[in-house]
Amino acid sequence: MSKGEFAVIGTGEVPCGRYPERSEFEIAYQVAKLAIQDAGIDKDEIGAVVGAAHIMGGDYNTEMFFGRLPEAIGARNCKITACTISGGASSFSIRKTVEGILASGETDTVLVIHAQRFSQFTPNELVTFFATAGADQEWDVPYGMTYNALAAMVTEAYLAATQTTIEQVAAACVTLRKWAMLQPNAMFNSKELSVEEVLGSRMVAYPLTSLMCNVLADGGSAYVMTTAEKARRVCPKPVYVLSDASVYSHRSITSAKVKDFSEIMPFGPLANRAYERAGVGPEDMDIFEIYGSYPSIILMILDHLGITEPGTAGKLVASGKCDPGGPYPITTNGEAMGMGHTGTGVGFGVFVESVRQLQGKAGRAQVEGARFLIENCGGGAFMDCHFTVLGNEVPA
Amino acid sequence: MKQSVKDIQQKLGLSDEDVAKPLPKPTQWSEPFWEAAREHRLVLRRCDVCGTYQHPPYPSCEVCYGEEFSWVEAAGRATLFAYTVNHSSVPYPFLADLPYVTAIVELTEGVRMISNIVECDHDALRNGMELEVVFADVSEEWTLPQWKPVSE
Repeated sequence: MSKGEFAVIGTGEVPCGRYPERSEFEIAYQVAKLAIQDAGIDKDEIGAVVGAAHIMGGDYNTEMFFGRLPEAIGARNCKITACTISGGASSFSIRKTVEGILASGETDTVLVIHAQRFSQFTPNELVTFFATAGADQEWDVPYGMTYNALAAMVTEAYLAATQTTIEQVAAACVTLRKWAMLQPNAMFNSKELSVEEVLGSRMVAYPLTSLMCNVLADGGSAYVMTTAEKARRVCPKPVYVLSDASVYSHRSITSAKVKDFSEIMPFGPLANRAYERAGVGPEDMDIFEIYGSYPSIILMILDHLGITEPGTAGKLVASGKCDPGGPYPITTNGEAMGMGHTGTGVGFGVFVESVRQLQGKAGRAQVEGARFLIENCGGGAFMDCHFTVLGNEVPA
Repeated sequence: MKQSVKDIQQKLGLSDEDVAKPLPKPTQWSEPFWEAAREHRLVLRRCDVCGTYQHPPYPSCEVCYGEEFSWVEAAGRATLFAYTVNHSSVPYPFLADLPYVTAIVELTEGVRMISNIVECDHDALRNGMELEVVFADVSEEWTLPQWKPVSE
């Protein structure tokens, strides 16, 4: 991929939260239509439809593997359909799939869809699934591991290895909630939080309280990606993919190649690689759209983006500088803490919000004059990290 | 205050199956680990070619891709790398164990494992503390290595 070769020209998103009556197919068709309308293209221009798998399977995945989506949305000129999944990193791996399709020249317009409906499952089915999704069936699950326990262990060790405090982790929750308050589709957008409330909520896995943990949600989003050449032709304000940088670290957290959990993998060199490839630096970033999946992981990543010394992101966030109106806006949709945890959709939500910001379509959450931002995602037991630099112009 | 499995079953209307502990699902290349645990021995797999200890084990050595291994006795000592005390939101089979500790331990051989820390005051847990292995017979066939603070 060369710098600015591909661009996103439109997005769609539905409200996230508990919507048991809304099927995942309904979500998919709805977000597809919203994205097509927002992009201002005709559905017959779409040459490929790519979807992310629905977490916990079901008919949706089977139907996707067998080509339901292009037919349902009337993409009559679709040539390629695919389902790509790598857990929380799916928003990245799917985009790389799309870039490959666009680079092949077979089509210049691809529709990407995510849909998730967790409310069809019982609480214990969900707890059990997420106990085993982040943990190894042989080595972790027999010990009563859960996703929350995984994040709690990493948080505990991060606090111990840096000067970060649990109050600062709570402050990150407060900041994310402030952003979510500005998002019409967020699950948690009706009431501000306080540090005291977050710390005082039920203990889940020390040191994580319930308000530091995610709530599963139904939701979905979509976007239309094209070649830069077409984007310039059809879209007044395309968002260009300027660069990315990736690392895969491990399956089991016990195999993380670090001496302590001041970080889980070397985020700093990775972010620098993304900045360098884009020809921009941290000082050019208007927003830091970080996907950590837990507030402490957001701090851990923010530590290494070039705006604060490693180990001091907690202090920065607690100072309010990452809040709406502050100089270092982070994760402006409130991430999973704000939108709810929509499975592979958390990363899609952050990506779609990134595009909205750079298109000037972020509504009340709009960061005025945003030109460049860095975005990331990762999946599994914090198995990988993918930074992407996006911009509404291509720097020289 | 710990609740008994029976209390929890009654309160939540759960069957014996609902509260059955998940047991390890071994692979053919990890079976010796569990066989040794059954005899209350802790063993690790070491590559005969390059000497790397690998946990979890896979069919080939992660470093040199060799396929010749020896299972060697571990010292049974570790330090605490990271931990959490679980208080709520765990699967049904673990409700009766609340509060319990899950942790990452780093063995003197260099590999890390997920495990439980037992026989320990939760307030006394500190990363870096010295641990020794203990064995919990969780069923007729299965024994889990766990860890406790080294007794002075």
